[in-house]
Amino acid sequence: MSLADVNLLSASGPALEVLGVRLPLFRFVGLRNYLRTFADPLYWSSLARTAYFVAAFVLEATLVGLGMALVLHERFPGRALMRGVLLIPWSLSRVVVGLLWVGILDFEFGALNGLLQRLGLIDGSIAFFKDGFSALNVLVGVYMWNQAPFATLLFLAGMQSIPLELYMAAEADGAGYWQRLRYVTLPAIKPIVFLVLVVATVNGFLMLDLIYVLTMGGPGHDTTTITWLGFQTAFTFFKFGPGAAILYTLTAFCLLLTFLYHKVMFRRLGGEA
Amino acid sequence: MRGRALGSRLILWGLVAVVALWLAAPFVWLFVTSISYQRNLLARPLAFVPPEVTLANYKMILGLVRFHAEGQAAKILPSMLNSLIVAGAVTLLNLAVGTTAGYAYARFRFPLKSLSLYALLFTRMLPTIVLIPAFFLMLRALGLQNTLTGLVVAYCSFTLPFTVWIMKAYFETIPDELDRSALVDGCNRFQAYYRVVLPVSGPGLVAGGAFTFMLCWNEFIVAQVLNTRLGTTTLPPVIAGMNGQINIDYSVIAASGFLAALPAVILVLVFQKYMVQGLTAGSVKG
Repeated sequence: MSLADVNLLSASGPALEVLGVRLPLFRFVGLRNYLRTFADPLYWSSLARTAYFVAAFVLEATLVGLGMALVLHERFPGRALMRGVLLIPWSLSRVVVGLLWVGILDFEFGALNGLLQRLGLIDGSIAFFKDGFSALNVLVGVYMWNQAPFATLLFLAGMQSIPLELYMAAEADGAGYWQRLRYVTLPAIKPIVFLVLVVATVNGFLMLDLIYVLTMGGPGHDTTTITWLGFQTAFTFFKFGPGAAILYTLTAFCLLLTFLYHKVMFRRLGGEA
Repeated sequence: MRGRALGSRLILWGLVAVVALWLAAPFVWLFVTSISYQRNLLARPLAFVPPEVTLANYKMILGLVRFHAEGQAAKILPSMLNSLIVAGAVTLLNLAVGTTAGYAYARFRFPLKSLSLYALLFTRMLPTIVLIPAFFLMLRALGLQNTLTGLVVAYCSFTLPFTVWIMKAYFETIPDELDRSALVDGCNRFQAYYRVVLPVSGPGLVAGGAFTFMLCWNEFIVAQVLNTRLGTTTLPPVIAGMNGQINIDYSVIAASGFLAALPAVILVLVFQKYMVQGLTAGSVKG
């Protein structure tokens, strides 16, 4: 489709009827949709924003996910309950995640502004969505709140498969908490760190619904990522050809990443066997 | 020695409290705003324990009282029903088709087995958003645009591969001596599957089913794009639409958001153990 000229607003045009189903015939335009996409400066600026968004999101989600996993891996009363609470942000629809954070970050009625004022830290209110860079960082943080629990789940699964004897041996050798973390826990969950990085990168590239609910790509184009640009081109302006072209450049990247991941994983497993 | 243990325990409890606050406080605040009046949310200094508690927001979105934006709110209940129908149908189809396919992949050798398995994995890696233009055109050609059936078809196409993989992984943990003894006892393959293997596969079915239901109940973009006609869409697009309206109080939107969140949250909390097992088994194995 990214190679075709698709105009959705015209119902006429060449078509083929098969068993009562009208199949539209598209005009093949070669690589024109791609060439047009690459000639658009907005494409390249969106790519740069996407790169920032993905890098910040991957970093935050991995670190917060790992941090929460390290806390939840310890023994404390109510640990089972906490593992249920862990899944709450992840189980919400992104539409709900978005409007829930509106209630916290809003300029007029936001709870965070209310809290900061009560603590005497600010006088007025902070407009989190007014400045483009701030809005982009809010998107990163909100998406991280939603996604980090999944990283925590994967980390916890990895930590639980570490044999207890390893910790006991380390403790007998006089290793403290940080040494056990550095020499036992982290090496053992290294493959999972890799998995989390890949999953977070792909998810970061594809994030769309939060932009829809929170910023609509604005102010200006300041939160327009490649996914949002493709979505808008295809479904707000109904240019399916160019929209699909933009989205396919994204797909190519995600597939490449997953392919690399599998290659590295299989080589590692092959080396161990 | 004793003091140090107490010290590190205090640090741990502090960290647990921080994590719990970070995870739960935003969701709790959503509930608090949904039972508050907007004027109390706007009041400064802000009261974190609501001075007045009201069910007015819920009454508004459920159509029990008249208010200025009741046209918007009147869409909530029908779209909730649509969400329930679509998510329920997709879950049932996934459990019927996905588990059977998963069983076949776990037990049989057949031509193109690994190729088709990787094809399924490939569709899982393909971003949904890239498929939407294609769905749009195909469903329109089939006359399924703006129907719940169209949505069910679209959702199945990206939930089924996942269910097949989860169920395949689950069936592989069940020893196939069980099937063989059923076959010796005179069952045919299908009877061995649904009389002997399925009844002991409860956790796997729960994991696959609950995950599918959650995914469909929460899905936004596909429903937003495919079903635009009034009365054909699901809950998330309706709430997203209300979110953009200036004339609707945030407290009313919060009430609808909380109602939308509740089923998925309850599902996840109840089936937490099985879902975590299913999800991590699928992904950690790679």
